Amino acid sequence: MSDAKPHKVKDIFVEGAIPPSFIAESIAKHATRTDIGAHEIFLGQVRADVIGGAGDVNAARTAAIEYTAYREMALERMTIIREQAFAKWPAMTCLHVHHSLGVIKAGELCFMVFASAPHRQQAREAVAWVVDRIKSELPIFGREILSDATHIWKTNL
Amino acid sequence: MEVLLFGMIAEKAGSPTLQVDADSLEALRTQLVERIPALRGMRYAIAVDRQVVTTDHALTGTEEIAVLPPFAGG
Repeated sequence: MSDAKPHKVKDIFVEGAIPPSFIAESIAKHATRTDIGAHEIFLGQVRADVIGGAGDVNAARTAAIEYTAYREMALERMTIIREQAFAKWPAMTCLHVHHSLGVIKAGELCFMVFASAPHRQQAREAVAWVVDRIKSELPIFGREILSDATHIWKTNL
Repeated sequence: MEVLLFGMIAEKAGSPTLQVDADSLEALRTQLVERIPALRGMRYAIAVDRQVVTTDHALTGTEEIAVLPPFAGG
């Protein structure tokens, strides 16, 4: 990174699931920012997909996803996405992104994108855009551990 | 040079890294499918210095190279 354009690389990764209490605390931290009028939060939860036979009571289900990442590249991409988001929505007050690594059980939270702005439109648009960019551009990999102890690899396409 | 492997590709290779000797991206691709036959018919991307690259170019051996299976974040 050049001195001409310094930007802080924030670590978005957390080990394990994102506790719901963390989200409440994140909201609470914004209470002093009284220029904010809207928070928009996207939360990704691990879904117990039925794998293979639909309607088959013995079909395996996703029990958990083990996330790994190419951290350095993911954080570089995230820094660019963050800068682009602030360029597109300059009124946005702040943007917080967290993604889990490690084994996250079905029903647990693995992904949070939280934008705040004076008005709802910027926050809403920014969150939707950032979520899509992260899903398509960050080198994060998911091994879906199934209820029958086999596994498959999750892909976002 | 050492190539970083991730996810399904690391699993198929049985290792998170692979030693190759390639002076271009095309040479690298050829070696990768020889060493990891499962890559044939699999979608993957190659990142050079943490940027996905699609066109052939020379490699000096000092780059950070990674082979990436489909992304699954979120």
